[in-house]
Amino acid sequence: MRRRCCRPPRMGMAAAGGQPTRPPGPSLPSGAGPGESAACPAGVQRAAAPPGCTSRRRILALLLPRLPVERLRRPGPVAVWAQRGSRRVVVAVGAEAEAAGLRAGQALADAQAILPGVLLVPEDPAGDAAALDRLALWALRFTPLAGTEGGDSLLLDITGVEHLFGGEAALRQEVLDRLSRLGLTALGAVAGMAGTALALVRAGREGLVAEGGEAAAVSPLPLAALRLDPALVGALQGLGLRDVGSVAAQPRAGLVRRFGAGLARALDEALGRAARPISPIRPPPEMRVARDFADPVVTREGIEAALGLLLGDLCRALRDAGRGARRMLLRAHRVDGAVQEVAIGTGLATREARHLARLFHGKLERLEPGCGFDRLTLEAPATDPLTGVQDGLGTAGRAARREELAQLLDRLSQRLPVWRLAPRASHWPERAMQRIGAFDPVEDFPGWAAKPRPVRLLRRPPFIGAVALLPDAPPSLLRIGRASHRVLRAEGPERFEPEWWRDRPDRRLRDYYRVELASGARLWVCRIGLAEHGEEARWALHGHLP
Amino acid sequence: MSAPPLDRPALLSALRARIARLERAGAAEALAARGEDAVPLCPAMDAALPWGGLPRAALHEILAAEPGAAAGFAALVLARAGGTVLWIAPEPDAWPPGLARFGLSPAQLVLVRAAREQDALWAMEETLRCPAVGAALLVAGALDLTAARRLQLAAEAGGVLGLLLRPDADNAAPTAALTRWRIGAVTSDSGSPHALGDPAWSLDLLRCRGGRPASWRATWHGDRLVTGEETAQAGSARRRA
Repeated sequence: MRRRCCRPPRMGMAAAGGQPTRPPGPSLPSGAGPGESAACPAGVQRAAAPPGCTSRRRILALLLPRLPVERLRRPGPVAVWAQRGSRRVVVAVGAEAEAAGLRAGQALADAQAILPGVLLVPEDPAGDAAALDRLALWALRFTPLAGTEGGDSLLLDITGVEHLFGGEAALRQEVLDRLSRLGLTALGAVAGMAGTALALVRAGREGLVAEGGEAAAVSPLPLAALRLDPALVGALQGLGLRDVGSVAAQPRAGLVRRFGAGLARALDEALGRAARPISPIRPPPEMRVARDFADPVVTREGIEAALGLLLGDLCRALRDAGRGARRMLLRAHRVDGAVQEVAIGTGLATREARHLARLFHGKLERLEPGCGFDRLTLEAPATDPLTGVQDGLGTAGRAARREELAQLLDRLSQRLPVWRLAPRASHWPERAMQRIGAFDPVEDFPGWAAKPRPVRLLRRPPFIGAVALLPDAPPSLLRIGRASHRVLRAEGPERFEPEWWRDRPDRRLRDYYRVELASGARLWVCRIGLAEHGEEARWALHGHLP
Repeated sequence: MSAPPLDRPALLSALRARIARLERAGAAEALAARGEDAVPLCPAMDAALPWGGLPRAALHEILAAEPGAAAGFAALVLARAGGTVLWIAPEPDAWPPGLARFGLSPAQLVLVRAAREQDALWAMEETLRCPAVGAALLVAGALDLTAARRLQLAAEAGGVLGLLLRPDADNAAPTAALTRWRIGAVTSDSGSPHALGDPAWSLDLLRCRGGRPASWRATWHGDRLVTGEETAQAGSARRRA
């Protein structure tokens, strides 16, 4: 079965010029190529060229037709059903159920009649999408660029990584083997274009398509491989166009006029004339190192030791490149296919392994090794140029101080919110300061020292009671909680009008008073709104004056 | 053969010096590395403190009898310590427009919110160990002796001045801090009921290792702290003039 499936691509390859082997594909130098192998413990990779930049790409498309069923991991015949309008139909069936005669698209009642013992599970599209996303993360162990496609497929950009697995065929086989070990049925095809590989697996074909052989490989496929609108497929078949090749042979202008540009786009992608972008599950990192373990790592000590080795590798690579990391991501591939991620961020670019290890230290607790990790990847998704720092040269000097402070703030901000306050152009007390990052520069504001302002501004100002001799007079007695305080001195009022360009319209103005109580305590209190006839004024305690 | 005569005063002073060396051995090193000396407050208080000011590489405790006055005093110490200062609190409500009066600029102030006591202590300890920080303030409730001792050792290691701002409670347990202050507010000397005048504080030095307790009444005038006697002298001088 598989051999026959493989044949059309092989024939296509022969048609493309009889090359017995694919020309060595990756145009990137091997040292800088994206990828690392299961055999070599550590491989550092620099930023791969952005997708679409080089002309020759190699894409592995994987179709997981039974993912909704197989991700449930239930024994016996299983089928997933869904409500479609007024009908209940089977949308996915497991291998055992399929052997008994169940098909996707069958009415639910028919399926129950054919196989009364089948386990029927309602559809869960969100769960399926999440499972596919997890698989895409898992696929990052083969290549830094992997993405999901259409709810049931994965696209892996394997340009330049296939030699680490012994060639494209071996890589494809390795991926399929690992998927089958996870209990997932998959079809895989490799082509120079994502659209071609997708069309092949969707038509149920597998294998490799050589450079330039796309059109020949896709032409004999049925129209269903393009995933077009069923009505459109019906119309094309009504015209006697039953495969991709015969549709593509029609004059393009008439085709577009009659069936729209979507068909032309799908044809171009499948025939390899137009590139189909991969939307990566994670942006490809600028740098990455990885280690594989023959024995899965389970203990905290083991993970820390492995992380130390990875950090050493990555920091060496960063130093060679003259860069420092701003963010780092540790990705742990568990033996059972689950992928866990731990991320840290730094305020200044750094490549000091000891500091980074300390930042990771508190976060490693989130990893759940279960039966162990067989692969750890450390990525630097964002790096900044970092030069002129001599590593390990004592702690004297200004630069070293700055570095130390940055490291302290990094450590604190991994666990706690850390910020600075910067002045903002607003007279409204709550808006006078804004939070900015701990590493952002703050400009001094010279006008402050002149005005007596509170040193502590209460975040939730309590309402208080106040007695004033006249409606507009300063308070002579304050009631805070249950205690009453006589006011000795009061300065004010200082009127704050609301900012009409920013505030809601019912915001009321405030008259602020600085009062000194008999105990000596100095408070910043305000009367909210103008005194209205027959209405008691509301007072609030907003801050403590020194 | 007779034993040499025992020079008791010399022996005692040698032992005292040895104890002092043992007690703050790390601090001496850290301070030498920083090349900075104690934080001055005002002449009268500096004279009463054995270090000629509030020493760095140590923990100082401030009991806040009045929140505003205590925050003002803390801001004054933080500003004079210089460099970057950290304000660690469950809900940091420090407000730079008011703190600027005491010389604490927003450019040097970093705020850390630590809702749990465990996190707050960890953050304070990390900060005190970092020589790049000028001073750090922790707003804390009750603090046990072990935690305070840890902070004191951390401050000695890093050479950072640490402040513990606590509410004033009668049963405040002894801590390992080098000094303990109680800061309250007193009514100002302003003659008018419509002007508040300069901030006036009562500063009680309750505990001081190697020094005597004392109390002062001081006002914040312009950019310096003026104690009661000085104001009296200044006032009499003004009258004479």
